[in-house]
Amino acid sequence: MADSEVDTRQREILVRVRDLTKRFDDLLVLDNISFNVYRHEFLCIVGPTGCGKTTFLNSLTRLYDITSGEILLDNEPVDLRKHNISYVFQEASAMPWLTVEDNIRFGLKIRKFSKDVADARVEDVIKLVNLQKFRNYYPAQLSIGMLQRVVIARAFATNPTLLLMDEPYGQLDIELRYMLEDELIAIWEKTRATVVFITHNIEEAVYLGQRILVLTNKPATIKREIVNDLPRPRNIADHKFVELRETVTQLIKWW
Amino acid sequence: MGNKTVNLIGKNSMRIVLTLLPIIGFLILWQLAAMFTSIGNLMPGPIQVIESLFISFAKPLGPHTIQMHALYSLKRVMVGYGSAVVTGIIFGVSLGLSKMFRALFRPLFELIRPIPTVAWIPISILWFGVDEMSKYFIVFYGAFANVALSVYMGIQRVDPVLVGAAKMLGCSERQLTFKVVLPSCIPYIFSGMQVALSAGIMSVVVAEMINSYEGIGWNIHAGQQTANMTQVLTGMVALAIFGLLMAAILRQVERRMCAWNTRNT
Repeated sequence: MADSEVDTRQREILVRVRDLTKRFDDLLVLDNISFNVYRHEFLCIVGPTGCGKTTFLNSLTRLYDITSGEILLDNEPVDLRKHNISYVFQEASAMPWLTVEDNIRFGLKIRKFSKDVADARVEDVIKLVNLQKFRNYYPAQLSIGMLQRVVIARAFATNPTLLLMDEPYGQLDIELRYMLEDELIAIWEKTRATVVFITHNIEEAVYLGQRILVLTNKPATIKREIVNDLPRPRNIADHKFVELRETVTQLIKWW
Repeated sequence: MGNKTVNLIGKNSMRIVLTLLPIIGFLILWQLAAMFTSIGNLMPGPIQVIESLFISFAKPLGPHTIQMHALYSLKRVMVGYGSAVVTGIIFGVSLGLSKMFRALFRPLFELIRPIPTVAWIPISILWFGVDEMSKYFIVFYGAFANVALSVYMGIQRVDPVLVGAAKMLGCSERQLTFKVVLPSCIPYIFSGMQVALSAGIMSVVVAEMINSYEGIGWNIHAGQQTANMTQVLTGMVALAIFGLLMAAILRQVERRMCAWNTRNT
């Protein structure tokens, strides 16, 4: 069903998840999940709180071992040392002892980019998140919104094959969240990165996603895949937007 | 603008007043007690002590002027404390990073640690003689555990979110150690060094009081032997200034080397 839709769009599969199952002892968290992530897409995954969204991401990155099934990235098993995957957590994860600039450079250094390339990348992304003036600040001197921008810049800097975001704006107030969401879309459009964005905030998912996977409550399975073609910039008051938001809300409500 | 400046000056002078008031009050009380009560029969007032301190810069107390005594003590602290900091960091890091090292040396460390510094003096003299080496050892012993424990704790308390983020950015185990774990325990190193400095100064005084012919601690001991309370108190005031200066210097070093951790004031 999902596949046929994509075949008509002729899109290249980046991540192939087949029959993914994850158990913690007796607790079944992920039940036989299959789907694809397509290159350059912005995929949102929504589901009720505690349905196993984070478990799902952690399985994807191999921070957890999976119970059964397979996850292939570019047709290979995921290997963090080899594949360039970035992960943005909900908690601020900037290194407190590095300046804004050095935080953004962190992943580039780890992955041994040449200095010239690293310099250029840092300049690019620091502009994208509007932190040029704060490049020499330490995290303790920044607001929580700025910190999250540092982390997002760090994630984009290495030009990741896949960018995973786990409720990155969960702790921010609405105004700041709107601003960062727009910023994220702008960066995504510019870099053509592939983004998997996990949230329990339905409006956020409809605002950001090109495609939305709705998960059921635990054990999580995919309830429905929704293609979201609303033009950007999206207007949360637009009736089509509201309609789609309602559809997703109903799906989450009536499992 | 003008108002703000005035306000700032007002705030600053207020702080200075608040700082000085109890100190001056204490000195006045002490002076009055020395002048008008029986306490005066036992010990001098602050004016006499401060006078004696100034005189002792030119006229030797025992074998040396007070600044020479202070230099002797300083040298002992520097050698003993310096080596304690270096080895304490290495020991603490090893405890934190290596399960094998921890299993081997933690029990021994915990067994020796409760023995108070002063209890080591006879053995240290037996091992190292009455000269400088035994004093270095006493200062070293007093400071070492503070540094080691603080560093060990810092390594255990590394933020798991940062570790996760670094792994996602492709860090190997080795890179994780050098780029995340060690930098994140620098504040713990400094707090351990502060505590260890106090302990080190305490130890040097103890060592000098028991086994020495010079140093600030010797002054206190010599004063006691000759019932010269002015000399005892001169030594104590000199120690207060000595400790204050050392701690202030260390704080400045921390502010320079660990700017990211200095709280926004």
